[in-house]
Amino acid sequence: MSLSILIWLPLVVGLVGLALPRARVGRWSALGSLVTLGIAISFLARFKTGHAGLQFTTDKVWISELGIHYKLGLDGLNVLLVVLTALLFSVSIGWSSQREWDRPQLFYFHLGLAESAVLGAFCAQDLALFVALFDLMLIPFYFLTGMWGSGDRVRATTKLVIYTLVGSFLMLVAAIATGVLASSEHGTSLTFVLSQLRALPLSHTSQEWIFLCFAAAFLVKMPLVPFHGWLPDAYKSMPPPVVAVFSGVLSKVAAYGFLRVVLPLFPFASVHYQTLMLLTALVSIIYATSLAFTTNDARLVVAYSSVAQLGFIVLGIFSLRPTGSQGALLQMVNHGLVTAPLFFIVAALAARAGGSEDLRAMGGIAVRAPALAALFLIVGLATLAIPGSSNFIGEFLILLGVFQSKLAVSVIAFLGVVGAAYYALRLYIRSMHNRVSPSVDSREISWREAIGVVPLVIVILVLALYPRFGLVRSERTVQETVAPAQLLAGSRPAAQALRDAGLSGFLVAGSIRSGATTGAGGTP
Amino acid sequence: MSTTTLAWIVLLCPLVGTIVIGAGFKVLKGSAAGVIGTAAIGLSFAFAIATLISLLGHDPQHRELTSSVWDYARTLNIDARMNILVDPLSVFMLLVVTGVSTLIHLYSVAYMESDRGYTRFFAYLNFFVFSMLLLVLAGNFVLLIAGWAFVGAASYILISFWYRRTTATRAGLKAFVINVVGDVGLVLGTFFIFGHTGTVDLIKTFHLVPHVFPHSNNADLVAGCLLLLVGAFAKSAQVPLHTWLPDAMEGPTPVSALIHAATMVTAGVYLIARMHSLFEAAPAAADVGAIVGGATLLIAASIGLVATDLKRVIAYSTMSQIGYMVMAVSVGAYSAGLYHLMTHAFFKALLFMAAGSLISAMGGVQSLDRMGGFRKAMPFTFAMFIIGGLALSGLPPFSGWLSKDDIIGFLDHRGGGFLLLGIVGYTGALLTAIYTFRMIFRAFFGQPVKEAQELADGHLHHVDVPRNPATDEVEDIDVGFPGSAHHIAERAVPMKVAMSGLAVLALIGGAAQIPGVDHALSSFLDTTFADSTIIRQEPSTSAAWIGLVIGAGIALAGIGIAYVVWIARPGTSAKLIERFAPVHTFLINKWYFDELIEFLIVRPALWFGRFCETVIERVFVAGVITGGTVSIIRAGGALVRRAQTGFVRYYAAVVVAGITLTALYFLLTSS
Amino acid sequence: MSIVTTHAALVAATRIKGPHIDWLALSPFVVLSVGALIVLLIGLLSSSTARRRVVPTLTLVTLGLAIGFEIARFRHSNLILSGALQIDDVALVLDLIFSVAAIAAVLLSWRGRAAEEAGHGEYHALLLFSVLGMTVLVSSTNIVTLFLGFELLSIPLYVLCASEARREVSLESGLKYLVIGSVGSATLAYGLALVYGATGSTDFSVIAAAVSKGGLFGGVLSDPMLLTGIALVMVGFAFKASVAPFHQWTPDVYEGAPTPITAFMATATKAAAIGVFLRFFDVAAIGAQNKWGPWLAALAAFTIIVGNVGALGQSSLKRMLAYSGIAQAGYMLSGVVVGTRLGIQATVFYLAAYLLINLAAFAVVVARERESPEGDDISGLAGLGATNPGLAWPLTIAMLALAGIPGTVGFIGKFYLIRALVAGDYTWLGIAIVIGSMISLGYYLRVVATIWMRRAPDVPADRAPGQVRTPTGPLPVIAGGSPEADAGLEASGRLGAGELEPGQIAQPEVAVVAIVCAGATIFFGIIPTPLFHLVTHAGQAFAGLF
Repeated sequence: MSLSILIWLPLVVGLVGLALPRARVGRWSALGSLVTLGIAISFLARFKTGHAGLQFTTDKVWISELGIHYKLGLDGLNVLLVVLTALLFSVSIGWSSQREWDRPQLFYFHLGLAESAVLGAFCAQDLALFVALFDLMLIPFYFLTGMWGSGDRVRATTKLVIYTLVGSFLMLVAAIATGVLASSEHGTSLTFVLSQLRALPLSHTSQEWIFLCFAAAFLVKMPLVPFHGWLPDAYKSMPPPVVAVFSGVLSKVAAYGFLRVVLPLFPFASVHYQTLMLLTALVSIIYATSLAFTTNDARLVVAYSSVAQLGFIVLGIFSLRPTGSQGALLQMVNHGLVTAPLFFIVAALAARAGGSEDLRAMGGIAVRAPALAALFLIVGLATLAIPGSSNFIGEFLILLGVFQSKLAVSVIAFLGVVGAAYYALRLYIRSMHNRVSPSVDSREISWREAIGVVPLVIVILVLALYPRFGLVRSERTVQETVAPAQLLAGSRPAAQALRDAGLSGFLVAGSIRSGATTGAGGTP
Repeated sequence: MSTTTLAWIVLLCPLVGTIVIGAGFKVLKGSAAGVIGTAAIGLSFAFAIATLISLLGHDPQHRELTSSVWDYARTLNIDARMNILVDPLSVFMLLVVTGVSTLIHLYSVAYMESDRGYTRFFAYLNFFVFSMLLLVLAGNFVLLIAGWAFVGAASYILISFWYRRTTATRAGLKAFVINVVGDVGLVLGTFFIFGHTGTVDLIKTFHLVPHVFPHSNNADLVAGCLLLLVGAFAKSAQVPLHTWLPDAMEGPTPVSALIHAATMVTAGVYLIARMHSLFEAAPAAADVGAIVGGATLLIAASIGLVATDLKRVIAYSTMSQIGYMVMAVSVGAYSAGLYHLMTHAFFKALLFMAAGSLISAMGGVQSLDRMGGFRKAMPFTFAMFIIGGLALSGLPPFSGWLSKDDIIGFLDHRGGGFLLLGIVGYTGALLTAIYTFRMIFRAFFGQPVKEAQELADGHLHHVDVPRNPATDEVEDIDVGFPGSAHHIAERAVPMKVAMSGLAVLALIGGAAQIPGVDHALSSFLDTTFADSTIIRQEPSTSAAWIGLVIGAGIALAGIGIAYVVWIARPGTSAKLIERFAPVHTFLINKWYFDELIEFLIVRPALWFGRFCETVIERVFVAGVITGGTVSIIRAGGALVRRAQTGFVRYYAAVVVAGITLTALYFLLTSS
Repeated sequence: MSIVTTHAALVAATRIKGPHIDWLALSPFVVLSVGALIVLLIGLLSSSTARRRVVPTLTLVTLGLAIGFEIARFRHSNLILSGALQIDDVALVLDLIFSVAAIAAVLLSWRGRAAEEAGHGEYHALLLFSVLGMTVLVSSTNIVTLFLGFELLSIPLYVLCASEARREVSLESGLKYLVIGSVGSATLAYGLALVYGATGSTDFSVIAAAVSKGGLFGGVLSDPMLLTGIALVMVGFAFKASVAPFHQWTPDVYEGAPTPITAFMATATKAAAIGVFLRFFDVAAIGAQNKWGPWLAALAAFTIIVGNVGALGQSSLKRMLAYSGIAQAGYMLSGVVVGTRLGIQATVFYLAAYLLINLAAFAVVVARERESPEGDDISGLAGLGATNPGLAWPLTIAMLALAGIPGTVGFIGKFYLIRALVAGDYTWLGIAIVIGSMISLGYYLRVVATIWMRRAPDVPADRAPGQVRTPTGPLPVIAGGSPEADAGLEASGRLGAGELEPGQIAQPEVAVVAIVCAGATIFFGIIPTPLFHLVTHAGQAFAGLF
């Protein structure tokens, strides 16, 4: 079965849904998303571990005049993210199907389009295709936020789209330039296929400006400070299922882009701007954490916490060490798994606190809702990456990677870890514990609320017992991805110290592998 | 069944208990949860004994067993498997933890009976035991840290068990955050060590130490060990990371007994003992540990002298006792430190249980100022308190006497700077005896208070409106608060049984090793510390006995002072307070540690948060970045529209300008 | 005017030789002119059905035939009328664009007031003549034919703009267009004259030779005459393509003109202007590319910025589209700037894409004008998504496509353009394009938001459909009224809006245009290969380009 089916099925389901009566479209879409999830899992099951290259590749020429291929494939970098996407979407759609929506057909159509675009972006192995889907996936969210959002939704969604597309358009130029310059510098025909581009390294000067354009796109999308201007408004006005997938998946596409595109294609620039990126990530961690300290809006606490988490992810990627990237990759999955249920829980809290998401209106909700409290506690502890959770393994690897490349940075980053403990528990205590606030009417979590939480909590627990599940598939691919940049970084004094510290294993391994890849880069 | 299998079962029992109780929270009625919970831990204790027996089956050289069930988080060169390490040290800890836990569970069955959160309580308690066992059994750093954090989490949920108390939730948050600081220390320390050894497996690490750190006090190793110490301090409430422990007394008394006296807080001691091969390679770090331990034991004891909240007094005494242990394991008196860990677990748990019974009799009031004359009303509790108190003060023949003076004796024997620590130890012992008997005299002697009267007349006092002793706000007894019903040892068999069990242990626990008589403990632990160089230099039997005699004398002196001040000459303490008013305020305010931390860390952090929200976010991000760009573009739009007058003549003007410019450009380029 | 007469003399001179005429190659021209005449005649008939129905039908037939011949002529590039016209693939593709645009215009004005007032015969005949002019213009390889085509396309448009004779604004726009258009033509004429003077020939090939020969050492290129000539020609074209700062007539004229004509101008005229840019600069003046390239690039960038910021905060949809058209002209111009085959291909491709997108948008505008009291006011679109998805979707797609969102042909067009720019070392211009697109999101999304995210207002009594608002329209421009200032524009040309239920589509043909074009926008956005085949040959049409 080809990946195309997996990718486009949700869109088809959405299109069919447009024709269905409003009563039935919800269940239909839920069914469709479950099937998609099933297909995704079947790919995961058939995925060969310990295998660096692409699997299940589809490679057709899309636009021959522009050398654009319709090339899809799974490897260690994206296989889990694909499953995560399918999972979060089916959870969100399932959650939505239990509720009434205005013009439901459109609502589910946009969700389907979004899922297809995101899955496509994850699977795309052609730069142009990736960019196209990366930009496209924003559009359904524009409608979802603007049409079914709350508060000043139109302003929020416009801000969201313009902000993110500003980056994406720059990335468009950068991507085109990558293809054109690569082909002209090496005198080959124009191509955007990533594996081929990898074999055509760009000159340092072009790498630098192209890197910045890509970074702009990805950093805005995540977002990291100071590119997060759109985040509070957008997250505030999105309906729960939308914000769940948005923060659970879309931000990951950006982080994933660094691993998929930037590190392999622009290793020199990645090393050149390593410090800059690390500092940006560091600032985001500290800044977002301290915002989460003080804000009284439950949803914003979650929002800022995910900014901090993405800070950690970028930190891991730009440690330019396999350890860090491994952690980052695992953390992408973990963060998706915790942030989505958190948003649903916040929705449940608001439902009990008279519709308000303000922490001051909450308190003592645990009284009649022990199950909700337990679920919330598990998710909350996972969010603050308590050791023993898979999130901790992610953070552990990330920080270890950074520790190996830039000791000071990792030491400071640990402030974020402590901060997380504070704001996560603060959120929990202020909402569930203390005296029952007058506006609160505590009741046990209903199953239609549980749809959004329980499945993900189960996955969280399983991953906590066996985080290697998330690591074993990506090891080889990550090593290959990071190798070139790591090799370049290795020639710097910073790495010299590491070599003394007996970590030369990485560098040596990296050098051998990178040699192999650049040699056989043409073949996927 | 192999030793490791047994150990796995020990680990599993409490987990199963948690899941069963947690899953059945709706169906479990009455004391069912309590029974299940106690049974689970009891079973686990039984298997611990079995583990011990089968471990003793191996010959001493081969008592370091590891067993891995699956590749927990193995990737790249990080070999984090799901593996446990079974050696004398871990088995010793298993026994202490499961043993004491069983008794405390038993106690809680009755003590928490009328609490609305009964089921929840035992689920939590079982979870805590599981975490603690995971901590002591962990075979690699990652799992160790996991257990480390789990006990932190368990302690959090149990401290804020009565979560309707704002004081409880605040205390829980404080405890958790400080514990996370400890976790961070542990993780960073692990990084430093991993950077050299390239493995997270404990045994491998220990074996690699001599090879990768040939010279002692390697900078990275010292850094690593100091960071490990941060972890230990946070968990074991050592200065300056101790401020959470007194507040932790917000939790139900059994929790204080189990977590904040017997087991969790001693994790730091276990950690240092476990990492002894690292610390011995980094003596600088070890010395820091010893000094901090010494400082803590004095500071805590001094505060214990003036604190008026019964449980807090015991809490401070716990801090200072752990100070002894930390000091001991840091200087190499491993068996002595662990010996004291064990005996302390017994008598401190006993003291807390007695205190719990007393507090119940007071209807939830904890202030010593309101207590008095319970001697007659609560004979059993009084007896228990006395036994615990004597053991704590270190009076012969109680266990505390042998274990504490074992530590001090070792210090004196090592001499030099350690002699100083020895003197600190003796001072601490004196203070200990004083504050212990201050408690006893104030609570059980003197004029009986009305609660005591009622109880003597056979009526257990129950307040109709329970109030939070800390804030005096009316308790919200809707969920998880005992409300008006209380239980005292005299009237609850399980409590009696549990307490008498501990009393016996407190009395004869010292038999584990008596200088010149037997050294069962040290010889058992010998396998673990085989690679230690310091441990060999133990004091001679005679020296040890001299130490013991001195210790006993100091204890007696302390008790005597307490007697003089609070019984013989009432009012003396008031005079003393007047005389040394500044000192008193200083102590009453707990050396201002809370204020210091508040001022140095909490305030700035929150201020920064608000600053970000109000200034940076609004002004810079929203204002400059977003607003700025937008307004620039808007201005451009306005400009273009203003140019669009609609008057052809203006258009013509613009056109002419355009033409001229274009022509000019070409003419200029032509030349 | 003296120059013009000299030109006439020259034309006469060429005629005398009596060159061999390849009628087949000439067929599109013949069809168009004959068709125009017939239409004009039929229009004289008294029967209203003849006028109302037959005339437009015939027009459509003519255009259809023209298209047929154009397609038939593909790949037979040849020079006819002794090098006066070059019927190559560029020309043919552009011709196709004109014809399609014209067909759309006819359909859109099927029930429009414009044709009614101007008389169907005249109206449609003029339309056809204008198309003829464009075809001549873009295939001209000779200064004379070039100017001929230029005028032939402009003059009918002046009239058409004013064709809604009863509407002040329409008259105003016609007049304005006439005045400013003449300035443009005059500039062009002078420019051409100078070029002729400098190179001594009216034939592009000769001019090209002269220019490129001079390119090596000073020679002709340092000749101020030639350069001024090129400059003026550039300005002349810039007028038609509404390139800033010669764009200011565009919003006023677009707004005032009958919407079908606006649609026609926005697509066909722009295509013609860009086409002649290609013809002249990438054929005749290619040798001087290093001279005019930078300046044209500067103009393009300036246009992009002006157009996009100008469109922000426009309340009238037509004005907004006019400004967006200006910006788009900037994009297309950048394709001309690089002066490479890729550039040409990209430009032509973008023209085709732009045609589809804009037609979809304008079709919706026409429909809205006829059924809503707000006319083409953006706020009038509120709730359209709920009330009338048949119009909402096309407009949404058009807006997203103009913004260059993936999945639409607009994205492919931009992609192609930028690729050409990067390859031609004009990356900075590519960045200018995307910056423009970023700004453009500001107003495109505003429209989409209004359609989908705003509730439809319940129409207040004084604004009930059917009754026209009190004309608070502007003074005639000559008197100095400022369209920018006007608050409410007289609701124009609403035919029987009274009888219309909201949501019901009154004019099937309009809806068809909208939906077909929108569909094509998406289709070519996903499967652009057919369009590419069209333009790749166009690219090879020009010799002397790499």
